[in-house]
Parts: sequence; C-alpha cells; structure tokens
Amino acid sequence: MTLILSLCVAVLFGAGAYLMLKRDLIRLIIGMALIGNAANLFIMAAGLTTGEAPIYPLEEDTADPLVQAMTLTAIVISFAVTALVLGLAYRVYVSHLSVDIRELSQAEEEQAGRDDMTDQPDPEELGAETDDPETTGSNGHSPREVTRR
Amino acid sequence: MMVLPLGILWFGAVVLAVLDGTRPKNALLSVAIMGAALLSTIVLGIDVYRHGTREMVVGGWERGVGISLRIDTLGIIFAVLSLAVLFAALVYETAIGVKARIFPALVLFMGVGLTGIFFTGDAFNFYVFFEIAMISAYVLASYGETPRQFRAAFTFTVVNLLGSTLFLIAMAALYHTTGRLDMIGIKAQVPLVAESPVILISTLVFVAFGVKLGLFPFHFWLPAVYTGTRPSVAAIFSGALANIGSYGLLRFGADLLPRELEQGAPVLIVLGAVSIIYGGVQSIARRSANEVLAYSSIGQVGYIMIALAIGGEAGYFAAILYAVINGLNKTLLFLSVSMRGWLVGVAFAIGAFSVAGVPPAAGFLGKLAMFRAAIEDESWSIVALIFAGGALSLLYMFQLYRRRFWIEDEDGEDAGTLPQVIVVVMAVGVLMIGVWPQPLLELTDQAVLELLDVPGSTP
Repeated sequence: MTLILSLCVAVLFGAGAYLMLKRDLIRLIIGMALIGNAANLFIMAAGLTTGEAPIYPLEEDTADPLVQAMTLTAIVISFAVTALVLGLAYRVYVSHLSVDIRELSQAEEEQAGRDDMTDQPDPEELGAETDDPETTGSNGHSPREVTRR
Repeated sequence: MMVLPLGILWFGAVVLAVLDGTRPKNALLSVAIMGAALLSTIVLGIDVYRHGTREMVVGGWERGVGISLRIDTLGIIFAVLSLAVLFAALVYETAIGVKARIFPALVLFMGVGLTGIFFTGDAFNFYVFFEIAMISAYVLASYGETPRQFRAAFTFTVVNLLGSTLFLIAMAALYHTTGRLDMIGIKAQVPLVAESPVILISTLVFVAFGVKLGLFPFHFWLPAVYTGTRPSVAAIFSGALANIGSYGLLRFGADLLPRELEQGAPVLIVLGAVSIIYGGVQSIARRSANEVLAYSSIGQVGYIMIALAIGGEAGYFAAILYAVINGLNKTLLFLSVSMRGWLVGVAFAIGAFSVAGVPPAAGFLGKLAMFRAAIEDESWSIVALIFAGGALSLLYMFQLYRRRFWIEDEDGEDAGTLPQVIVVVMAVGVLMIGVWPQPLLELTDQAVLELLDVPGSTP
C-alpha cells in the first residue's frame, strides 16, 4: 500500500511539475492543483495505518484519524487557493487578452524598460487604465525625463 | 486573554468582509479594530514578559490532544511588530482613501494569520494560519488592479503557493518521523529519530521560508511585486509578511531543529552573503524607488541568514533584532518614498540611516549585534562582508534620497497631512529605538534565552 501511494504521489508531483513548466497559465494552474493533491496524498501516506474507524470507545486497532483531519484541511485550503488563482488568471487574461507567458513577460519587459528610463510612477502604476502600453514613453523617454537631463 | 488579539481581529475581519471598505466610516472601523488588537497584544506581551511563556489548549481538550496556543517572547515580539506595521499601513491607506472595498478586511485577515502563526504551538496549525496570511497576501498583491499588478500577483501566488505546498509536505513528513504535531513534542522527539529524514525536512522548511523572505535564489518574484504595488501593500509585505520567513526560520530552525540548522550553516552563510552583495549591487543599479527598496530587502534578508548561521546566543540575538528593525525600516521607507515634502524627506533620511546602520537610528543596533556575533564567532570574512554590505546600503539609500528629495520636482504628488504624520511618527519610533534601545534589547535577550532553553529564563 505504501508503495502504491508513493508511486501515486510521485506521478502526481511529476505531472504537476511538468505542467508548471508550460507556457500556458491555465496548464500552470492545473499543474499547481496536481502538486497540491500530491501533497494531500503524501499527508495520508504519512500516517498510513489500517484499523477500525476511530470512533469512541476505541477498539484495539484504529486508523490514525489525525492525518485524515489534516488532509481534509489541506484539501479545503488548496481548493480555495485554486479558485483564487483561477480568478487571478481571469483578470490577467482580461487585462492582457492573453494567458501565454511569453506575451506576459514581454509586457513585463516593456514595463521594466519604462521604469529604467524614469523613476516616476507611470500612469499605469497610478491606477489609470492604459490598455495601450505605447501611450507612455513610446520611444523610451517620457517628456519629464528629457527636460531633467 | 490569550485569544483576545486573535478574536478581535477575526471577528472584525469577518464583519468588515461584508461591509464596503471604500467608505471612510468602515475604513475607520478597521483602523479601530486593528488598534484594539495591537493594544491587547501589547498588554499580553507585558504579561508574557513578566510571567513567562503562556500556554493554552483550545477547546478545553487535554494536553496533547487539542491544538495548543503557546505564546513566548519571540512570538510576542513578532506579533507586536507585524500588527504595528499593519496598523501603520492601514492608517496610511485610510488617510489617502481606500481604493478597494475588500482592502480593510484583507489587512485584518492577514493580521489573524500572522498573529496565529506567532501564537500557535502546533506545527499543522502553523500551516493553516500561514495559509490565511498568504491568501490575504495573494489578493493584496493585486490591490490597485492594474495589468502590471495582476501579472505580479500571479507570479507571487504561484511561487508562494509552491513554497506553502513544500511546507505542508515537510509538516507531514515531520509528523511521520516524530509522530507529533505539537512543537514541544517535536522538539523532544527530533534528537531521537534518524538524522537523514530530518535533514530533508529541514531543507524543505528552509526553502519554504526562503521563498517568503525573498532570499537570493528564491527572490525572483519579489522585485516585480514590490515595484508594481501601492506603498501600503509594499510596506505590509516587507514589514509584516516577511516576518513569517524570519520567525519561521527562528522557530523551526533555532527552536525545533537546532542540530539541522547547525549542519546547514555553511549553506546559509553562502546564500546570505550572495543575497547581501546581489541585493546591494542591484539596488545601486536600479532607478525606480520601489525597485531599489525591493532589492534592498533581498540584501537585508542576507544579514538575518548569516546571523542564524552563526547561531548561539549572539547569533540568534542579532537575527531577531535585525529582523525587527528591518521590518520597521522597510515600512517607513516604502510609505515615505511615494510622498513629497521636507518632513517626509527627514523621515525618509532617518529610515535610510537606519538601513545603512548609522547611529542614532535603530539600524545601528542591528548592525552592532551582527558585528558582535561575527566577532564572537571569530569569522573575519563575515565582519568584512557586513561592512561592505553597510557601505553598499549607504550608497544606494542616498542615491535614492538624492533622486527623490533633492531634485526639485514641481509635479510631485503632495501628500495630505495625515500620511505625513504617520511616517514622521514611524521615523520617531525608529529613532527612539536607537536612542533608548533597552526595552527591545531586553525582550530580544529573553526570547533568545527561551529559544536556547536556558534554565531560569522564564521568571
């Protein structure tokens, strides 16, 4: 039983890690969920005992109830976090119209380029909705930076 | 009495979760709740300081069956620090106007998580509170709701979620090897079990907390999150959330697994040294204010690592002191760097002095403790490293100061009076700790004695 469980944990973790290396945010989230489930199985495996259900009054051999309680808690937490991450991914999609990591990191680089040119917070940072990154500092120089130099 | 801070925060958070936080009335309510929790924690802290560690088993269960709360000086120090930082950030955000209806509730929930982490005496319960704090952090990371913040929040969530999962696995493995979940039981059992699984567990715990702290190889999420976000959230992350990492390493490393911490010391020293140098050099190279401070955080974490690696009374003393002072410094700097005006400039300068370790600011104490620990350990390369790190931080802090406050900028955003008052109060606090350090030093000393189990440490 321990062998089966550890194989399951290994396969789940491996599949999750593989998916996390993908470029798609949704696959990444599925990979995360798989790793979370691998962790849950691991907790179960940590207290693998066979026996009666641990209902008071206790018989001779009872299964360890603690790991089940812990796994239950962990499942609830990972469920909540997965929902949250999916929500975040949706917001990322709405604001970038893409869930491809290459396009997101391209947006990040453009942002970094603008940061290096000016140490002032740009409109995007101040909360103005700028869907078009070209509106601020299209050639890398914001007007203020030029006057300062 | 012991659950009072947790109870206040928890009920307050639940109530505020259904209210609209953008209304000034509700934001003020959250400030009041946080203030009450902070006050009750301080009262509890005085009690713990006078009468020693307090313990309580939740729900009236027997010892060893129920989940236990255990409050010692180390926990109290970090709880008061974190709640004070959250309080300052909440007041700041209320003063400039809360932008999202959920913000006050999230800050309170993070208060619940952090206080719970510092008060719990149970390893699995630690994980649960850890997740409560982290989930609020995931949402807070996107506060402001710009495309850039969503990107940063996503990275932050994925990386830290992996860290949490590793921590969960480590806790399960710890339960499997020691058969205990309460920290006292684990501490008693660890020396009796085989060494190799415990080393694996310690590595997992170290990675999990390294991710939280933004230590060098795990730092990659940190600049993106700190740069894109609003000042109050950056202050919360660096002043309160990072405490999970330092406290966790002190609790699990110095308290529960001291043997493994000692074996891992060379790794900690190398990573800490790389962090200090990398953070310092990157800070000098960066132009945007938040980015400089973000890389500075990576550098400052390195000192805590080195202090932990030196270990012993002087090492742990330096680690606790440095973590506390660093949390205060970063909160002050992140809050003040976005504002203008000479008063804010003075406050920022005090924070900058403190990071660089110039007396009379509080940072001097941290650096002094580091030097003392390194000299007692007779490791001169570490002394040189601390000196070099201090020089680097002086350089980048004043580069930043010059850019932000010396260059006249007619269109700099003029902050209201209240935010300015907050940063000035914080700056005075940092100065006060530097000028009159006795209370903090005594508390830290007692925390170290409790960590090392010196008999008679609890009067």
